[in-house]
Amino acid sequence: MALFAVFQTTFLLALLPLRTYKSEVLSEPLPLTPESLKVSVNSTRQRLHLQWTVHSLAYHQELKMVFQIQISRFKTSNVIWVENYRTTVKRNRVLHWSWESKLPLECAAHFIRMRSMVDDARIPKPGFWSNWSSWEEADAQNSLGHDPLFVFPKDKLVEEGSNVTICYVSRIHQDNISCYLEGVQIYGERLDRSVSAFELKNVSFIRKKGTNVFCKVDQGGALGGIVLFVSKVLEEPKDFSCETQDLKTLTCTWDPGSDTGLSKQPSQSYTLFESFSGKKTLCKHRNWCNWQVAQDSQETYNFTLVAENYLRKRSVSILFNLTQRVHPMTPYNLFPKNVRATNATMTWKVHSIGNNSTLLCRLELLAEGKVIQQHNVSIKVNGEYLLSELEPDTEYVARVRCAYTNHFWKWSELISQKFNTAEAAPSEAPDVWRNMKMVSGHPTVSLFWKPLSKVHANGKILFYNVIVENLDKPSRLEVLSIPAPARSTELTLDQCSYQIHVTAHNNVGPSPASVIVISGDPGNEEVESGRVNGTEDGFSVSWKPQSGDATGYVVEWCDGPQDLPCVLQWKNLGPNTTSTVISSGAFRPGVRYNFRIYEISAKRMAHLLEKKAGYLEELAPSDNPQVVMSNLTSHSFTLSWKDYSTESQPGFIQGYHVYLKPKAGEQCPPAFEKTVLPEDSVCCKHTIDNPEQKTFVVENLQPESIYEFFVTPYTSVGEGPLDAFTKITTPDEYSHILIRIILPMIFCVLIVMIICYLKRQWLKEKCYPDIPDPYKSSVLSLIKSKMLLKL
Amino acid sequence: MRAQRMRRTPLSVILGLLFLSMAATSKCLGKYHELLLQLQRQADLMQDTSTLLDPYIRIQGLDTPGLKEHCRECPGAFPSEDALRGLSRQGFLRTLNATLGLVLHRLTALYQDLPEAQQLVGLNIRGFRSNIHCMTLLLRSSSEAETPEPTQPGPGPTPPPTPPSDAFQHKLKSCRFLRGYHCFMHSVGQVLREWGESRSRSRSRRHSPRRAPGDTAPSGPCRGGARRMWPFRRDRRLMPRGHLPR
Repeated sequence: MALFAVFQTTFLLALLPLRTYKSEVLSEPLPLTPESLKVSVNSTRQRLHLQWTVHSLAYHQELKMVFQIQISRFKTSNVIWVENYRTTVKRNRVLHWSWESKLPLECAAHFIRMRSMVDDARIPKPGFWSNWSSWEEADAQNSLGHDPLFVFPKDKLVEEGSNVTICYVSRIHQDNISCYLEGVQIYGERLDRSVSAFELKNVSFIRKKGTNVFCKVDQGGALGGIVLFVSKVLEEPKDFSCETQDLKTLTCTWDPGSDTGLSKQPSQSYTLFESFSGKKTLCKHRNWCNWQVAQDSQETYNFTLVAENYLRKRSVSILFNLTQRVHPMTPYNLFPKNVRATNATMTWKVHSIGNNSTLLCRLELLAEGKVIQQHNVSIKVNGEYLLSELEPDTEYVARVRCAYTNHFWKWSELISQKFNTAEAAPSEAPDVWRNMKMVSGHPTVSLFWKPLSKVHANGKILFYNVIVENLDKPSRLEVLSIPAPARSTELTLDQCSYQIHVTAHNNVGPSPASVIVISGDPGNEEVESGRVNGTEDGFSVSWKPQSGDATGYVVEWCDGPQDLPCVLQWKNLGPNTTSTVISSGAFRPGVRYNFRIYEISAKRMAHLLEKKAGYLEELAPSDNPQVVMSNLTSHSFTLSWKDYSTESQPGFIQGYHVYLKPKAGEQCPPAFEKTVLPEDSVCCKHTIDNPEQKTFVVENLQPESIYEFFVTPYTSVGEGPLDAFTKITTPDEYSHILIRIILPMIFCVLIVMIICYLKRQWLKEKCYPDIPDPYKSSVLSLIKSKMLLKL
Repeated sequence: MRAQRMRRTPLSVILGLLFLSMAATSKCLGKYHELLLQLQRQADLMQDTSTLLDPYIRIQGLDTPGLKEHCRECPGAFPSEDALRGLSRQGFLRTLNATLGLVLHRLTALYQDLPEAQQLVGLNIRGFRSNIHCMTLLLRSSSEAETPEPTQPGPGPTPPPTPPSDAFQHKLKSCRFLRGYHCFMHSVGQVLREWGESRSRSRSRRHSPRRAPGDTAPSGPCRGGARRMWPFRRDRRLMPRGHLPR
């Protein structure tokens, strides 16, 4: 055999130079010229397929050759592609080569020729090209019909982001042909009298039914078009993993990414291949697949998931040990058993895995959504655990999940079960307080208690028992049963001392009793009132202990404003406490809250210790007092507002501002100072810094002058609203003197006149008595008679 | 326009199912006018393009300028209104039944493109055919029964065999087919309306080709004159096997 090979090589080496020499000298075509060149068109894939043979080789001869292939478009001189194809040639063996055209083959005739050269190491260099074969034409246009306009490529399937060249062939040789991509005109390059090409770059997915591209003659109505099927790019499956629930079946899952399905292309398929067993399965679902575990105890698996569509394949692999991928099934039949007030037993079952496999189960106990207990239990099939330290009458959720003990991979899904513990007697005495008042001469006690918290009620409170015991004289106990949810009751007592027991009852029994003692003689509980400052957190109340045997303190207050019915609130504090912060969502700014601090004695009697008042936040007064003016003189007048209550104001009243507007140009009275009002008017202001002083005398005024005054209170925040001023006019300075003199004088004159009038006869007689008429005088008659006589 | 279509679609579903349920009872209405009214209403429902054509155009992306126009052409695959009007009642019903049978067959091929709408329209057509059957029985039993006409009317939307078309051609052809179907049902509705009028005018005369004034039939999916574009090939389709209408 070796001898034959040596002989063959020697023969070839001897023959080839001889032939080369002959071709050079005689210019004869080489006998190794490619022959029988045939060209076919695959329109679907836009490929030209070439096949040829080299007949001139000796029988059984193999030779490495290079074929230079030329492709021209439209005409032979327009060479668009040259490629050297190297291959090993045997006598009579058909050689194949194909080429993909960017331009759809239907749009242009293509011409192909080739030549060859020996490229074998056994042949000394240099080699010589053979003559070209004759041009072969591939013209797909011949198969077109008689339509006036064709667009290519038909139904092409490409991936998103590809570049696609489309073209049209017009048989009517018109220039007015427009092409559109989804209705938007596109512009291309004219390749020939009747052929134009358009390059669509980076095509994108539009719809599963394909992207419509069409060309039409602008006025003729001829239409040609294609559907370009743009597929989304096939993604590599993500999160590929496999697991088993029973060591019999493996379930592999993955995230498939985008669906690449189109009318032209089904959705991508998924195939699962296992390399150790050499088995594979075509998955029926796009994101999961089942695999039957082999019976031959195969432990290690090497899976390759292959995603595939018409355009691409993507694969991903995992290698794992079967027993390290056990994901147990969800436990079942989780039930509470023997549920009591403070404990309960939970039972559940699990699906067995293999033979005698152990599962680690985690039992969690939740209350109000939070995990409060956690226990690990190893089981085979049946699980049981006693939950203790539970609260009575409480809803709990128990949940269980399990994992494979041999190798932890994943917890199973959770199974949950709700249950309620049984009730128990209330564990704490109700918080009780009282309010005492005298009604028709009898001390009346209002008893208040707070509902027990859920933690202490241990069940639904049905009623409260109030037992009244007279401490001063033995008598029968008075028992009142008050159904829940009442929170108060009223007792009318006499002047004796009483001990009151209050208990809360549920279905199981009573709570411990809350005891308070009420004295028949309320005593003098008047104490001085102080102030307390409010903060964002509430009121910080502090007090001084009075006696050393206090068993506790109670701070009492009303939640609402003073003018509303009191919703009594209280806070119990320990014996060593001397301060506390009272906070409540009901506290509002500008409302005065009064706090009373009681000391609870060893005899459980409450004594008022201190009173405090305060504002969460002080505000400026909201209204001004009603001012009464009196004692008006030419130089002064008096203002008073005695009805103004400082208690019901939105802040502690610190005093009052008295505003006075004198007549223009006049100076402020001595006690006043000049100030500017908000409306820029100038006036005089006097500050009274004693809130209890509710009168003021405005002095040093000018007589016969007009004044305006206005009184407003002020707090630490500011003064009251600026109301209208009241106008007054001072009287004349002398008028009162004149009145004092003239009036008595007039009175006297009148008296004198009246007297004179009454005594006018007397006065007449005294002052100007009647003068006798001489003519009526007797003397005159005598004289007359004498004269007559003389005559 | 879209909102209007959305409002119409549930109504058409209800009506379709109503008609179907009536048909499914396999009991024909004995009253001519009630049956005729039902057929008219069904025809009105089936000419509504929002049930089939509009979703098809939208899904296929044919709702772009330049392509819409080419879907408006009603193909000559369906009998024209004039041709339908020229038939006897029995012949009309047979033609209608046969044509709808072929439509049903063609719709099955469109299942991939319009799965939901195709199913619904299929139900409507089956219901309508059931009523055609009832009307045929009613006419046959009545004194008005006409001389039997060809049992196989022949006209149908089966196109001549053509080489397999590409996706673009398929889209346009299907679109035109659906347009033709809606146009055809519009014509059927017109003819059925004239049945009612002609019966009230004259019980002995055939239905008049003229539409009565004040006809309130819903406007059809075909433009005026479009129906003229479908020459009724009476010799080749409606009159097979040498039978001639009376």
